[in-house]
Amino acid sequence: MINHIIKNLNDMKTKSYTFLVLFIFLFGVNAVWADQSAQYVLNENFVKVQEANKTVSLEKKLEHIETGYNVVFLYESSIVKGKLSSAKELDGTLREKIKKLLEPHGLDYSYIDNRTFVISKLSETKLEIAADTVSGVVTDSETNETLPGVNILVKGTSRGTSTNMDGEYSLPSVEPQDTLRFSYIGYQTQEIAYDGQNEINVALQPRTYAAGEEIVVVGYGTQQRRNVSGSISSVSSEDLDEAPVQRLDDALQGRLSGVRVTSSSGAPGSSSSVRIRGTTSINNSDPLYIVDGVPIENGGIGYLNPSDIESIQVLKDAASAAIYGTRAASGVVLVSTKSGSRSNFEASYSSYYGIQGPEQKLDLLNAREYAVLRNEASVAAGNGVVFSDPQQYGEGTDWQETIFNNSAAVINQNLSFSGGNESSSYYASVGYYDEQGIVASPISHNKKVSFRINSTIDVTEWLTFSENISYTYEKNRGSLATNSEFGGPLSSAINLDPITPVLITNESTINSPPYSNNPVIRNEQGYPYGISQYVGQEMSNPLAYMETQRGNYGYSHNIVGNLSLQVEPIENLLVKTDIGVKPAFYGFESFTPVYYLSSVAQNTGDNSFARENSRNLIWSWDNTINYTTSLDYHNFDFLVGTSTREQSSTTVGGTYQAIPAQNFDNASMNFSVPNEQRIAFGGEAQPYALNSYFGRINYDYDSRYLLTVVLRIDGSSRFGSENQYGTFPAVSVGWVPSSEQFFPDTFVDYLKVRASYGINGNDRSLGDFQYQSTVSGGRNYVFGNSIYTGASPNAPANPSLEWEETTQINAGFDATFLNDFSLTFDYYHKETNGMLLQVEIPSYVGASGNPFGNVASLTNDGVELELGYNKQFEDYGFSVTANGSYNKNEVTDIGENDFLVGSIPLQASAYELTRTTVGQPIGSFYGFETQGIFQTQQEVNSYTNSDGDLIQPNAQPGDFRWKDLNGDGQITSEDRTFIGNPTAPWTFGINLSANWKQFDFKMFGQGVYGNDIFQGLRRLDIASANYTTRALNRWTGPGTSNSYPRLSDTDPNDNFGNPSDFYLSDGSYFRIKTMQFGYTLPVELSNDLGIQQARVYVRAENLATITGYSGFDPEVGGASFGIDRGIYPQARSFQVGVNIKF
Amino acid sequence: MMKSLLTYLMCLAVVVSFASCDNVLDVEPKGQQLESNYYQTPDQAYAALVAAYNPIGWQTGGPDGTWIPLLGPLNAATAGMNAGGGGPNDIPTIQAWNSYDMSSAVGPQAGYWSRSYAGINRANLFLARIDGVQGLDEATKARYVAEARFLRGYYYFWLVRLFRNVPLYTSPLETSEIYEIEQAPPEDVYAQIDEDFTAAIADLPAAPLPSNEAGRATKGAARAFLAKSLMYEIGDSQDQEKMGRAANLLNQVNTSTAYALLDNYPDIFRADNKFHSESIFEITHTSKQQADWPNFGSGNIQGNVYVQMVGPRGYSGPKYASGYGFNPITSVLVDALQGDPRYGYTIANIDSIASNNSSASYEPSPHQNTGYFIEKYAPLQENRADVITPELNYPNNYIEVRLAETYLLEAEAILRSNGSIARAEFLVDEVRDRVGLGPVTSPVTLEDVYQEMWLELATEGHRWFNLVRTGRAADVLADEGFVEGVHEVLPIPLESLNNSQLEQNNGYD
Repeated sequence: MINHIIKNLNDMKTKSYTFLVLFIFLFGVNAVWADQSAQYVLNENFVKVQEANKTVSLEKKLEHIETGYNVVFLYESSIVKGKLSSAKELDGTLREKIKKLLEPHGLDYSYIDNRTFVISKLSETKLEIAADTVSGVVTDSETNETLPGVNILVKGTSRGTSTNMDGEYSLPSVEPQDTLRFSYIGYQTQEIAYDGQNEINVALQPRTYAAGEEIVVVGYGTQQRRNVSGSISSVSSEDLDEAPVQRLDDALQGRLSGVRVTSSSGAPGSSSSVRIRGTTSINNSDPLYIVDGVPIENGGIGYLNPSDIESIQVLKDAASAAIYGTRAASGVVLVSTKSGSRSNFEASYSSYYGIQGPEQKLDLLNAREYAVLRNEASVAAGNGVVFSDPQQYGEGTDWQETIFNNSAAVINQNLSFSGGNESSSYYASVGYYDEQGIVASPISHNKKVSFRINSTIDVTEWLTFSENISYTYEKNRGSLATNSEFGGPLSSAINLDPITPVLITNESTINSPPYSNNPVIRNEQGYPYGISQYVGQEMSNPLAYMETQRGNYGYSHNIVGNLSLQVEPIENLLVKTDIGVKPAFYGFESFTPVYYLSSVAQNTGDNSFARENSRNLIWSWDNTINYTTSLDYHNFDFLVGTSTREQSSTTVGGTYQAIPAQNFDNASMNFSVPNEQRIAFGGEAQPYALNSYFGRINYDYDSRYLLTVVLRIDGSSRFGSENQYGTFPAVSVGWVPSSEQFFPDTFVDYLKVRASYGINGNDRSLGDFQYQSTVSGGRNYVFGNSIYTGASPNAPANPSLEWEETTQINAGFDATFLNDFSLTFDYYHKETNGMLLQVEIPSYVGASGNPFGNVASLTNDGVELELGYNKQFEDYGFSVTANGSYNKNEVTDIGENDFLVGSIPLQASAYELTRTTVGQPIGSFYGFETQGIFQTQQEVNSYTNSDGDLIQPNAQPGDFRWKDLNGDGQITSEDRTFIGNPTAPWTFGINLSANWKQFDFKMFGQGVYGNDIFQGLRRLDIASANYTTRALNRWTGPGTSNSYPRLSDTDPNDNFGNPSDFYLSDGSYFRIKTMQFGYTLPVELSNDLGIQQARVYVRAENLATITGYSGFDPEVGGASFGIDRGIYPQARSFQVGVNIKF
Repeated sequence: MMKSLLTYLMCLAVVVSFASCDNVLDVEPKGQQLESNYYQTPDQAYAALVAAYNPIGWQTGGPDGTWIPLLGPLNAATAGMNAGGGGPNDIPTIQAWNSYDMSSAVGPQAGYWSRSYAGINRANLFLARIDGVQGLDEATKARYVAEARFLRGYYYFWLVRLFRNVPLYTSPLETSEIYEIEQAPPEDVYAQIDEDFTAAIADLPAAPLPSNEAGRATKGAARAFLAKSLMYEIGDSQDQEKMGRAANLLNQVNTSTAYALLDNYPDIFRADNKFHSESIFEITHTSKQQADWPNFGSGNIQGNVYVQMVGPRGYSGPKYASGYGFNPITSVLVDALQGDPRYGYTIANIDSIASNNSSASYEPSPHQNTGYFIEKYAPLQENRADVITPELNYPNNYIEVRLAETYLLEAEAILRSNGSIARAEFLVDEVRDRVGLGPVTSPVTLEDVYQEMWLELATEGHRWFNLVRTGRAADVLADEGFVEGVHEVLPIPLESLNNSQLEQNNGYD
């Protein structure tokens, strides 16, 4: 019967409607159709409806409803022809109205989706089948339900039909060479060749990935993916359900193009550095996180239970992010949490348990090798042999063994309930997560408990109330430096000599110094932990160190909630007000006992017990008015709004000294100690507020031509009176050529090209009140013999201070082709201008300090590619998604500075390791270039300058030959250059998944390419520190090595003291992050058990890493700037888990 | 009804929020004092005044933290002393003036320049804001204002002497003015100095001050500096009227009962004998300033390192601590003082001490060492403070103006303004008599006065100014590299030329 409708339409209207109808079926554009109807109704008939007070034709009445409700009726014209209805306004809901309208005529309806209704006779019987007619039933391959409204086309022609409400179809005049093409919204298109059979039954596979149908959360609203003209990448809850992650950051890693996530440490609960399209600013480049509309800035995103996440959208281009104005320069991550279904109740439980350990350890020297090399280095420096008989020491102590835990436990449990009815829905969950660290487990442990309640209530038809509230408690033991050469278990394990034993059991040693006369740490049996007599400074026995830190912890209580009220005073006008709050309470407790770890690391005075409690509060209030309307093919979506936000925090803490307690467990502030041994401290963060106005117009013409215009006006308390408000405009356009009539019928199913331009700000680079001048003391002078305190202003005020501005151009396309493939490509050029730096003002101003100014600039250019393939067959399926991105970061201006020195020097090196200057990426490695090793004295002597003088007069055979880059005939600080980039320009990720019957398999891998790592594991200022086995290949005589210099305690050529390419390694890696096998119980079996669905799985995380890097972990990022000082490695974890739905 | 009411309320709320949230941006800082609301109380006013004194004691300064112990470069600029130190690159600011090869980038200018302008900025700010201070009695306020004007005059005097062409401003510079201001004609600067000191003289207290105020400005100090400023402005030209004013001002100081020459010459410089009757204005220090290496160089911290710097390098023995070997004294001054009673109190002959004392050892620096070092500020073991970084915390003060100088200046002013020769002879003879020298040959000549100034005040930082002021520098310093028409002033510091309207002084690049 539907074919009749199409025929009628064809008769009635022009050709383009055929196309339009096809378009509707292909892409589900219902609104457009309604507008089409509206056009005709409004012309003449609508007026008549109003005039004719008594009756009106049923056809007109239906058209009236189509206009009013933005719906479409599909029907065979004969069944409504000549039928009359009362012109009186019907009451009730839409569906009630339709029912009331149709029932008197013996008609009924069904719906394809909630905007498209099919009208048929109540007693409709099967369609008769003509002689050369093909007929059949189209069903859903998973549920076996019939599908109404499926479009069937003879390929290459315009002949076609659709299935009726029972999923049946009948297509006449099919020729033997014809191919039938079955397509339906949300399903994969199938093609079947006709070879004479009369019946073709088709089971369509639901399509999991399809460009267009997906709903995308954008700032202050949603949009259909096909109408998006900016650059937005998404992660869905399905992705996360299949491969659970511990933190939101992890969910972003490797899954999205243009998003680089680098873990700063493998310690439980640590955050990662997230960079969207490169490093946007020399100051702050963290993206803005918005969870259910609430900006999460203080305390980070760690509170969020990943199981609660419904979807994550990353707004990458300026136009998409512009609605967040002054905080959007580094991109915006929008997170939506789950909500209940309005139809059925569901309870689900998921849990996994895992065992984890390190993937790789360092190859360090054993005691014998250590003694040999130490002797060599000592002798080379003109000192005597240190160890007379190296062989006697054997293997010695493996310090790494004492800190690594190969069976650290990780437990995750989640329970959620969701459901609802016609007018409300809810989702509630509780989660528990407990992870032991793989390094120094007793002092590396994270525990998290989270609760959430989300609900929505339609109070009346026009008033909706909703709330999301979550509470998370996190307790973290993390008293070890995770990437520091200055002590802590990791760097101690790397640097300590393997000769010192872990425990001292020899009575005579115990009874002599330093064990006999110091408060040394002992194990449970009372034996002291060994103290190295060779390696000093901050290095100490890791087991003893752990005892001094045992019990210390930090905690946080995070409450994040928002309440919103939405009214719809007139159709399509939504007025919404939303109040968000995020109070957080956090702090720590720590006990410092009296201890003696070494002559440097000791507390031989009083013990102390410290506690700190802080709280911070962010509240935000957002108001929006949203109106959608359509005119012909023109669709508009208008949004205006305001946003206000304030942030404050306080801290108070105290320390009690000399309490009568020996360890954390019996420490208490109930002990009374004298006033002078009670120290209090505290403070407040400076208040910070934002006030904003924004507006957006989304327009599309027939979903073919897309336009979005955004304007945000943002006020920030961080800026001076002259620039308190800034304006951030953006525009994006899109075109869907595949929707054009002229678009050829090729392998391309869908194509959209997009472009956008916009300006975002970054007010988070600046501290509070830096636009004003503050007064400091300490400008003292002496009168008589006493010092008097003087006070004067610091840097002068700069009331014209404003935000860093990032301008971004984006161009790209989305395509699906060959039915099963999808492709997204983006190119962008991002310019950050007016970056804040201190500006040197002339000293005749006489100021004490330099004010901040908007002076520096940088650019990021890049391309991004996301490719997907998804194919589902009878009982197996396969999908691949892959992404890759390239980003080039270049500093283009740093004001009057020649360069900015990297804030992080390495240990005792005289030179900074990184430098930022024009023409280079931010924080590039800076140092000397080596040119092999002098093999003989003759080579040293022949390395001369134009005057015939030795370029390296201090060098000996076995030393590096440094490149004299400036050609001045000597090696000076001027011979340094840019030797590497700590930030990978290439990042990529790949997701494979496959299923066969009840089994599923998933593999997820991620990697980077093109960066360098500076391996600064060994302490340069401790000559006796242990070496990695690389040192076994050192230069020992002509021809022995051209890359690893001789060992000498004095190192007169600074082979090790100079930062150079010697320390750099290729940091590229590819890591199999997740590999898992799952098994879903057959439906019959799970039903017998009284559950809806059950799945069990085994999973490996960080299973293998392909890299040339020899440290613990090539993922050295975050605040580390690519410098490995002994980073806490990511754990390799093996897990078993279960997901159950009731 | 319900619907329309709620809708109305919500729309109202939205509209209200559009209009009213502006004020959330008006936040007040916590626990931080802003310049805009400082300068309210008498305590704050006093702290602001102390801050204006603070740069006087600086021994470092400038954007690069240049080491400028005031006397170091000035002494090295004369023929009587070398730069010294550990080598030709040890403190280039001092070495450059010693060899007269200064440029915009290299030389001591940045330190002197920023020291003075920091003081001017603070004095200007103080004067601009003092009227807003509540609860300050009129007498105190008048004294504070006079001190601030004294300080401004003091700092501009240093600037105009060293640079001649300098930006002149007497209220805090607005942001918009920073890059617009130009150098003022020197006569305008002198006029401002005159005005400031004249105003200061009226309201400053007369010496002596109570011991807890010693070091603050006095009428006598203001008169002495104004006289010195007048005489520097006159230079080697003839301006009887101005010179007469200078003579008069100096006479008022020299005849004040508050001041008297000390009987014993070396007592003048003793670290435990400060603010004595011969001292008119001192640069003050104590050993309790807690300077250490990390904070030294940050400008505002007043360590005192010059004492350490002039100590003999590599010396171990009685009396002196080992120093850095700067400003070794050349034969020019050694010869001039030969036979003078002041020789031993001016020059430490380390060579002879080391060779005559078996318990002393000495490894002199190979760079410009002469074996003779400054005695007046020498790092005596007894002065070395019992603090963590004693080398930065010597307690010695530096007397910037003392009575012997004002005696001799008055003598000069008298001779150059046709005053009483008898009075001039009396003044010179007083200075000579104190150390046991006989009277000068009558009638006393200008040359006699100049010679006496040199020897009496040797190593105290006056020699270079006096040579330039009286037009003798080109002769006396010819061998040092002094070029007439160029080296009377220092180059303007490079960083102050960038983006500004300032022009470099003649002869410098």
